[in-house]
Amino acid sequence: MDSRCPITAGKDNEGVVEMTVNIVEDGVAEAVKANFPDAVSEAKTQRRGRVVITVQKDRVVDVALLLKERLGFDYVTSVSGVDYPNRNEFEVVYHIWSISRKILIALKTTVSKDDPRLQSLISVWDAVNYHERETHEMFGIDFIGHPNLTRFLLPEDWDKSPPFRKDFKLPTEPR
Amino acid sequence: MKVRWGPQHPVSGQWSFFLDVDADVVVGMEPDVGYTHRGIEKVAENRTYIQDVPIVERACIFDAGNFVFGYVEAVEELMGIEVPERAKFIRVIVGEMSRIASHLYWLCLMSIAVGLETMLMWPVNDRELFLDLLEMLTGIRLTYSYFIPGGVRYDLPAGFREETERRMDYFERRLKDYYKMLYLNRTFQMRTKDVGVLKQADAIRMSVVGPNLRGSGVKIDVRKDEPYAAYDQIDFTVPTESEGDTYARSLVRFHEMEQSIFIIREALKKIPSGQIRVNVSPSVPKGEVYSRVESARGELGYYIVSDGGNKPYRLKMSAPSFRSLLSLPQIMRGVPMADVPTLYMSLDLIPLDVDR
Repeated sequence: MDSRCPITAGKDNEGVVEMTVNIVEDGVAEAVKANFPDAVSEAKTQRRGRVVITVQKDRVVDVALLLKERLGFDYVTSVSGVDYPNRNEFEVVYHIWSISRKILIALKTTVSKDDPRLQSLISVWDAVNYHERETHEMFGIDFIGHPNLTRFLLPEDWDKSPPFRKDFKLPTEPR
Repeated sequence: MKVRWGPQHPVSGQWSFFLDVDADVVVGMEPDVGYTHRGIEKVAENRTYIQDVPIVERACIFDAGNFVFGYVEAVEELMGIEVPERAKFIRVIVGEMSRIASHLYWLCLMSIAVGLETMLMWPVNDRELFLDLLEMLTGIRLTYSYFIPGGVRYDLPAGFREETERRMDYFERRLKDYYKMLYLNRTFQMRTKDVGVLKQADAIRMSVVGPNLRGSGVKIDVRKDEPYAAYDQIDFTVPTESEGDTYARSLVRFHEMEQSIFIIREALKKIPSGQIRVNVSPSVPKGEVYSRVESARGELGYYIVSDGGNKPYRLKMSAPSFRSLLSLPQIMRGVPMADVPTLYMSLDLIPLDVDR
């Protein structure tokens, strides 16, 4: 049963605008907000099948456990870091898919660049293993509790700063 | 004893494994990746959206069609534009041809891993059927950069439909030969049945993707779960097998090729006439998007953050081989050394796409 019902809102010059009521997505966002009212700063439905949740960094593991155990988000699709130099922080984004609900959730948190440390989610989802290793290597973010944060993709003798940070400039001239 | 398997091993490709070996039995394995790390995500941040099309397809040239597919879908969602119907069908056709070509390449590597040399030659030869068609359509055999944000670059050339039909009929007969030659072959069955079993719960726990997951009985396919382009207008089935062993994974890929033929035929039947692309502005509105497509090796995700400029602020490519790699140490535990190439090939991992 698909609980989503399309509602035709009206016409404009571009064509028919279809509004979709995302009951399931809104339900997930509401459930997370209701369980962690103080830790979740934002929970919204981006579009059909996409929910974005922003969480304080010290409560990520709790929210992740709720997502996995109670809401059925069991399938890790991606872990990304994003560098924001003017805000002096990194954003870490976990994209988790729910096989039963067919929703992709983006679990976001921010860490300061002065102290880029964060609890690893490997205790919740085993599959974040290599993703977190890659993020650690490319952004210099430490995932506390990760069993094996060693060199992965970069060369063994790499001595420069983590390459995906914005202050690492790609050489444009031949050296 | 520690054994380093690769990168000079004839089957390994551009990476190596550290194997812990007790007599002839592998007790532990750690992949050593990064030989082909090019920092594609970083390079993409320094190029404009249109310049990134040839960059992202270098992540996996065997399946270049689907790798660009995901990228353009993501950029179009950020831009909020709808692609013309005809372009959607052409994209499906190219995506499926790319999938068949990639599976055929896997088939030849898998066959040589179990020691069947004729089955190395046949798929390589038949892969040309599709590479020629892609050349006819795009001008280039492998890295064709054919999809661009807004549509596709060229329309179907004259005679393309007839030539495709002709080659499909031939390839369908060839698939029957493959089945007799490889899948009914006793050597192949002995080397693959009950070897490298990946249980359903483990497959989900380690978030394995694509045919590896469907070989373990999990019916996930992005083309069905979140239909993109014209996949919602084509009624294909998603093949799954429940055993989770190497044979099951191989069989899923075989049936996927059959389904791809069906999809290409249907798409050629249903393709409407009309425009093949719309004009788009070079800069992209502020926002972020996660787009997913089903590539030959499984689900491929693009996470793009835009700051409103003409270059992506961050482009994260969640590549299928990188995600399936996690299950390799698990299925390699307790197997004889001779099974290492078979297991490695059964997951259809390529180092290019692990490293990016």
